[in-house]
Amino acid sequence: MNILVVLRMIPDSAGELQLAEDGRGIDREWLDFQLNDFDDHALEEAILLKEAGGATVTAVAIGEGANRVLQMAAARGADEVIALQAEDDAMISSRTIAATIAATARDKSADLILCGVQSTEDVFGQLAPYVGAMLDWPHVSGTNRVVADGAGLRVTQERGAGVAVTYEMTLPAVLGVQTASKAPRYVSGSKLREASKTPIGRAALEPSGFERSAEIRELRLPAQGGSGEDLGNDAENVADRLVTILAVNGLTANGLARK
Amino acid sequence: MTGWRARHYVSALANAPKAARFDRPMRRLEGVATAIGLHRKMLRKPLAGVLHAIIFISFFVLFTATIEAFGSRLFPGFSLTPVGGETWIAILQDTFAVLMLVGVGLALYQRYVLRPARFKGSSGSDAAIIYVLIVLIVASLLFEAAARILGGADGSWRPVASVLAGLLGRAGVPAQETQEICYWLHVGAILAFLVYIPGSKHRHMFLAAPNIYFRNLEPRGTAPAVPRERENPGVDTLAQFDWKQQLDLLSCTECGRCQAVCPAYAAGLPLSPKMLITDMRDALAAGPSAPPLVGGIISEATLWACTTCRACMEECPVEIEHLPKIIDMRRHLVDEGRVSPGLQDALSNLTRLGNSMGKPSKMRARWTGELGFPVKDARSEPVDVLWFVGDYASYDPRVQEITRKVAELLSAAGVDFGILFDAERNSGNDVRRAGEEGLFETLAQSNIDAIGECTFNRIMTTDPHSLNALKNDYRHFGAAFEVLHYTALLAELIKAGKLDLVAVDGGKVTYHDPCYLGRYNGGFDAPRDLIRAAGYTLHDMPRCRENSFCCGAGGGRIWQGDDGVTERPSENRIREALSLGDIDYFVVACPKDKVMYTAAIDALGVADKLKVLDIAELLVPRTPPPREPVTSGVDII
Ligand code: SF4
Ligand code: SF4
Repeated sequence: MNILVVLRMIPDSAGELQLAEDGRGIDREWLDFQLNDFDDHALEEAILLKEAGGATVTAVAIGEGANRVLQMAAARGADEVIALQAEDDAMISSRTIAATIAATARDKSADLILCGVQSTEDVFGQLAPYVGAMLDWPHVSGTNRVVADGAGLRVTQERGAGVAVTYEMTLPAVLGVQTASKAPRYVSGSKLREASKTPIGRAALEPSGFERSAEIRELRLPAQGGSGEDLGNDAENVADRLVTILAVNGLTANGLARK
Repeated sequence: MTGWRARHYVSALANAPKAARFDRPMRRLEGVATAIGLHRKMLRKPLAGVLHAIIFISFFVLFTATIEAFGSRLFPGFSLTPVGGETWIAILQDTFAVLMLVGVGLALYQRYVLRPARFKGSSGSDAAIIYVLIVLIVASLLFEAAARILGGADGSWRPVASVLAGLLGRAGVPAQETQEICYWLHVGAILAFLVYIPGSKHRHMFLAAPNIYFRNLEPRGTAPAVPRERENPGVDTLAQFDWKQQLDLLSCTECGRCQAVCPAYAAGLPLSPKMLITDMRDALAAGPSAPPLVGGIISEATLWACTTCRACMEECPVEIEHLPKIIDMRRHLVDEGRVSPGLQDALSNLTRLGNSMGKPSKMRARWTGELGFPVKDARSEPVDVLWFVGDYASYDPRVQEITRKVAELLSAAGVDFGILFDAERNSGNDVRRAGEEGLFETLAQSNIDAIGECTFNRIMTTDPHSLNALKNDYRHFGAAFEVLHYTALLAELIKAGKLDLVAVDGGKVTYHDPCYLGRYNGGFDAPRDLIRAAGYTLHDMPRCRENSFCCGAGGGRIWQGDDGVTERPSENRIREALSLGDIDYFVVACPKDKVMYTAAIDALGVADKLKVLDIAELLVPRTPPPREPVTSGVDII
């Protein structure tokens, strides 16, 4: 099995987001970037498949900090790592990523592509279906268990309310991973240091060939409305304020009793 | 036979990796002399110390009797009489035989009547067999002498034996035969004793001195580096431990002193430092048939329970090193990725962002925003004091208030200081002790590089953990900084008359010695001086200074869950403070402590009785902080 994993770097949500000057994007210059969590699970699933029955895993990363994440992927067991060259300061659309991944998959004769089910820059989870469509391969998203089964796969997809569906798929295929069969493992610093010597391949982005169907006009930070109140971050005062507010609104035990 | 019984151990030690423990012989001998000659650590427990000293001295005196017993029959004509064997040596033997019995009596009283909890898990039969053998040896010795006196020998130098001779005479036993029986009883018991020793904890009679001699003389705060010749960072078989670590296992006396002070053990976690040692010792004896070390003989839960407080090592009378073993085995777990989810989160955050909280580096210096004056960026201008702030003091909103207090105090005292802003990373102290050596190296190197870019005279830390790493662990990379804790700097400023305090008529307070400030780095007095200088009366808890009881946060414990904890160490400690009576404040000198103990007080519901304050919060400078830090009067080189 030849597995290709997509690793997308996304802005760290713990950081402070600021708008770009044109108001049509976020200012990416001062942001920290981190690996999309779902992609981390996709990588783990790929490594688990490799450990269970043998496979070659190629990790392709895109965005700022890609090299660091690729070293981590190598330390976890990826056989080949490739960084996609992109302009750092722009968000890359899932269509473009999909076209590039499809091309890389052909190039590497991959027969299974794993990526995270969604990311903060792909909230609709379009990447996996796009790649599937471009390659004309079957696709399942929202997986939480993937097991190699003869020449194919048994893929479990999570649906709401505790319902899960298991598909039997033949390869090639594209999967949007929600959670890996096991939580992503920890890689120790010494393994990371060893992996820092892994050569990182380069590849250029492929144009998607699609017309742009829509454009962002304006982004806005959430406005501070009159309905909320910032109580600060000092636990003692916050607690006091909270109790007072509840009492004033008759929501404490005493208050309720009075009502 | 004794040699046969010791063969496993001898071959294990002979094949073990090397350890550099042969330097500084005079200092090593001196340590042996105080530890054994003065029973320094033993006497911390008065009854046990005294009874052990009695048995110990008696043992040496009675050894002369052993020499006589064997010498007289092996070499015809051998006798100690010419050097006083029948005069002063005789009276010494006579007296110390009785003292030995007194010592054993006290030991029996301690073990079977007082029954201290520290013996829980120690081998009871081992102790009992030894008591019986000693009593047998001493009794046969006395009765043999008595029988000799009965047979006409001079009893004037053996008063006790003479009394016994009288008793024997009245009982009408035959002198010659009794003497012969007692002699063989004596010799037989001694031989049994010798044969028994190699398989028992009484090996310590021979191994305590060498184990103390070969003790670690490096600074307490330096965790042992991974030896270059080791393939993986960790240890997962006993044979990978160097010979000193293995000798440790054989030297344990099962006294349980380590267990009695262990916060993890007290918290109900599956870790007893004593059993950690004895379990590995038994596995060493079992040889290849023993189960795997990590996860087998020593469970993962045991390894993760340790707070690295170092109380066990401080207490151990034979200088056994528990922590290097725990850290080495943790290194193995980390290398295999076997870490709890909490720890994994923290370590991943540290890898990614350089702090355990998962906050961006750019927010590290945010606490300076609410300060009335700007803080210098030590990367761009020279400073006298480079302040290494630390994660909790920088990011935790509960601690930032204290961080600002410290800044104000420094400013009031006219100290020229600066910080590293977003170039600071977690010091790696607890990362290293959690077994993550690779990440520790990355963090340390990054800090050393950042510090190397600055011009300064000294480094000050808020956090005792950072203090320890910068001062001791960074030596590993050849970085020798002068590092001091903020309490030391503030005490120095007060003494030099640079910091003038408004002394209040404060109430009674108690003070908690943080492990990494006190036990690890000897910072006991500066915090106490500050408390007094601020006008408060200090009332120490029973467990203070070297014997301080850990808050439970160290060594990466703060990143792990509380599963299996029956009583949190921090709550145990707050109870101790409450038992002092009328204490107003529980004073701390470590950012983590403010967090840990405030939570403990809330959990115990005693917020009305006790409040946690950092030392910095007690100190009120007389001059209000100026808008700009004063830079005069400080030489910058
Ligand atoms: S270092 Fe502290 S927690 Fe760890 S075993 Fe020793 S006494 Fe227990
Ligand atoms: S390790 Fe030291 S303190 Fe602990 S039981 Fe053994 S000898 Fe006593």
